[in-house]
Amino acid sequence: MSDSIAPSFTPDYTPASHGHSVEQLSRPSLSYWQDAWIRLKQNTRAIISLYIVVSLALFTLAGPLLWQVDPALQDLNQISQAPSFPKRALLADPYERWQPIILDDFPREPETYVDVDLMPAPTGVQPLGEPTTQQIRLRWEPVVGAGGYSIYRNQHAPEGINDLGLPLATTLGGNEISYEDRLNLEQRDYYYSIVPTDGFDEANIYTTIKVLPTIAITRDEATQRGLIDADTEIQIGDPLSLRFHPFGTDYLGRDMLARLMQGARVSLFIGICAPFLFVMFGILYGGFAGYFGGQLDALLMRFADFVVALPFLLFMILFKIAFGIGPGESGVLPMLIALVLLGWPGTARLVRGQVLQIRNNGYIDAARLLGAKDSYLIIRHILPNTMGVILVTLTFAVPGAIFTEAFLSFIGMGVAPPTPSWGSMCNEGVKTMLSHPHELIFPATFISITVLAFNLLGDGLTEALDSRMRSR
Amino acid sequence: MKNCLTALLLLTFTCFSWAQTQATSVNFETQTITMAMTQEPPQLNGMKATDQVSIMILSHVMEGLTRYDRRGNIVPGVAERWEVSDTEATFWLRDDAMWSDGQPVTAHDFVFAWRNALKPQTASEYAFILYPLLNGEAINKGEMDPAALGVEALDDRTLHIRFERPTGYFDKLTAFVTYFPVRQDFFETKNQRFGADAEDLVYNGAFQISQWVHSASLRMTKNPYYWDRDNIHLNAINADYITADTRSRLNLFIDGKIVSTALDGETYKDALTQRFRIRRFTTGTVFFLEYNHREQRVTANLNLRRAIQHVFDPDEMVNKVLATPGNLPGKSLFPVWLKGKTDKFRQEYRAPEAALDLDLAREYLQKAKTELGLTAMPPLVLLVGDSPTAAKQAEYLQGKLKSTLGLDIKIDIQTFKQRLAKMTAGDFDIVAAGWGPDFDDVMTFGDLLSSWNLNNRGRYNNPAYDEQVRIAMNSADPKVRMDAMGKLQQIVFDDAVVLPQYEQGVIYLLHPELRGVVRRVVGADPDFTYAQVVKPNQTK
Repeated sequence: MSDSIAPSFTPDYTPASHGHSVEQLSRPSLSYWQDAWIRLKQNTRAIISLYIVVSLALFTLAGPLLWQVDPALQDLNQISQAPSFPKRALLADPYERWQPIILDDFPREPETYVDVDLMPAPTGVQPLGEPTTQQIRLRWEPVVGAGGYSIYRNQHAPEGINDLGLPLATTLGGNEISYEDRLNLEQRDYYYSIVPTDGFDEANIYTTIKVLPTIAITRDEATQRGLIDADTEIQIGDPLSLRFHPFGTDYLGRDMLARLMQGARVSLFIGICAPFLFVMFGILYGGFAGYFGGQLDALLMRFADFVVALPFLLFMILFKIAFGIGPGESGVLPMLIALVLLGWPGTARLVRGQVLQIRNNGYIDAARLLGAKDSYLIIRHILPNTMGVILVTLTFAVPGAIFTEAFLSFIGMGVAPPTPSWGSMCNEGVKTMLSHPHELIFPATFISITVLAFNLLGDGLTEALDSRMRSR
Repeated sequence: MKNCLTALLLLTFTCFSWAQTQATSVNFETQTITMAMTQEPPQLNGMKATDQVSIMILSHVMEGLTRYDRRGNIVPGVAERWEVSDTEATFWLRDDAMWSDGQPVTAHDFVFAWRNALKPQTASEYAFILYPLLNGEAINKGEMDPAALGVEALDDRTLHIRFERPTGYFDKLTAFVTYFPVRQDFFETKNQRFGADAEDLVYNGAFQISQWVHSASLRMTKNPYYWDRDNIHLNAINADYITADTRSRLNLFIDGKIVSTALDGETYKDALTQRFRIRRFTTGTVFFLEYNHREQRVTANLNLRRAIQHVFDPDEMVNKVLATPGNLPGKSLFPVWLKGKTDKFRQEYRAPEAALDLDLAREYLQKAKTELGLTAMPPLVLLVGDSPTAAKQAEYLQGKLKSTLGLDIKIDIQTFKQRLAKMTAGDFDIVAAGWGPDFDDVMTFGDLLSSWNLNNRGRYNNPAYDEQVRIAMNSADPKVRMDAMGKLQQIVFDDAVVLPQYEQGVIYLLHPELRGVVRRVVGADPDFTYAQVVKPNQTK
């Protein structure tokens, strides 16, 4: 057995060749963000919300360039108009103050008061001149024994003495036999009723006349609104188009669309700036507390608890005073500061929790053993892993801030008139909710849609950025 | 036993609530009406009353020397005749004027009441209305003894008054609550509780308070001792509801629980659809923008005020911005209903009107800037109340002045008390103010802007204005007085002291079966004294 035979066998194993051959990737590798984007795209709700958010940004920033209407311009000829197509109006003479017709040969007060129940109804009630939405003038024949006349206006034909409608006025004497109505006239049928009085009590009899005014605008107003030039060809009595208000007008005839655009600036400025600032601060604060831990963490987090307990409204008012914001000045800046100073603890807590969790993971210890510095650990490992939480907090904080702004403007703590914000527009609109619902519905819809869009987007981001749900 | 008690209580409660639900707004058989008060009267001591509800209740249960009839003329009350001269007045009281306990009303009761109201320790806010009496002001300031007041009872039925200055309208003053009589022996037995409850008052008016459940209801019944009792038709006036909310008042009216309610910009539309007859009434209050005339303010500049005067259109404001019927465009500090020499004041002295002229206004503004040495006007602070309409008017004005004159306006919205404090301190450039009449004479508006009047919040000081007020104050001749007031009206316009906005009107509902209710600009409003429930079929 000493003479050994040279080994001659095929070896079962051969040393592997030196080289980097890993599994073949059939598709390009995806980064964390690419993957998140792909999964976000599959979420229809989130994508729709994203489009809404983008169009809101366009509405706010590009809108005023396209729709160049002064949001503070009052058009008192078109007060509280619902959305409608542009109206036509006749160009009218400038309004001239009018002296009522007072007869000289008729007693102002009757010498003897007759029983009002025996008084005859006025005759000869007729409009004076062309009735327009600028003015409707009426005259009638005097009634013997009358000491004045009450003028009523209704929007349907009266069915009896109790159904005459709005009491417009009472003339001061039995010889004053005309009346000029300019009270908020629109193009519709008006039923005027004239009731004689003995200067004190009204009779139980009346005469009614139906009047349909045409829409009219005076030359001065038309020039002021830029509807005609100073050297226009249009003559008195010619028709012209009034300003178009696609979203209607508010209680002072201001364009709702322009106001919504301007209001969006305030609402979205607060809604985006405030969360961005306080989330930033929350990240720093929470990250610091979570990473270093121990006594410092306990101290910092107790301070955060303290801030949570501070009442927001009180601080808002205190800031307003401390900043010397006088009456009639915008309260947006103190609102922003109050939101930032009191809003961060939520984010700080979330980030701290996340950091605490990540800090104890094995790969952090490994990296530390390999000599990684704190700054490297934070930037390379911890921050990217908290990104999901941060983004989600941010998107959820936006609707919260928009809502706070709306609420504060609603109670009159926010913007100063004439600057609108969605909240203050709701505040104004709610007063005329029953008669002119569009003044409330539009800003309220905008707030609701914005808040919903940010919430759904936040929801979508939560799912997309959750690394445990990464697609394989 | 306890159960029994509960059952009994329950039974009473059921009966009570049954009785309550049976109470309707008007009852022809019993001549009873039910109304709602906007608030409970704080107390019913006439010497201290200031609020509208107290004045309204007191005017039903008490009576002064004179009273207003339904057309607003002065007619005899406790006094059956009187003579007023420049220096003195004498009132002769009727024999049959009685207190509700059967004792006669005497001249001493008036002497006691007026002296008492002027005592500094009474702290009556309306004491100034007694200042026409000789030494009235000095007594109120504690400089003189109340006994020195220029009023004395010559006998039980004759009251003699000496004036501090001629007061031609003194007979109108005596219809006011502060001038109502108080019986000394009764007042002294009640001490501090006088007027605090139904039994803490003795009445000499058409009605007496028979029941007062605090913060719930108040019941007035006909006073059997009232001298004119035969002409009083109502047996009882129940104030069963206390609410200022127009919406719930309208619901009570619809349910037939109350006889009358005021309407506002929203509720009138419901009243229209319910087919109720809406009535209107001018409250007599004038609303105006008052400028701050203190030296350091830009609004002290006449040309700036004139510029605003030439762009502000009260007509547009009333018709488009307020947009509720009943309001009249403001043209003067003096409202249309004030009486003049023989006719209405405003008929005799037409209010001057500024032409709406933008070019002229801009010229004035330019002049103002030059005079003030400014290239641009600083923003003006507009102080307004916190009602929705006030804010709307303020925004209208802001837009108007911006679009016409390029003036910036800062709107300062404050609660009533806060606004009053700021007005007194002069912390404003322009303030939206209103002034309601205390008595039916031009002087109630005329002396408002005199340099000594504390209600002249803008501290307007013009010797020419003061002089005209003095002329009117020191004369009893209607022509002299009205001419002076006519000149005042012109000064207010020329100097653009204030900018009249509108004369307030209200719209309201009244039960059609109730007749003879009087709405007044001064005194009790509404006045049910001579009202009467008519048979249902008499109404059409």
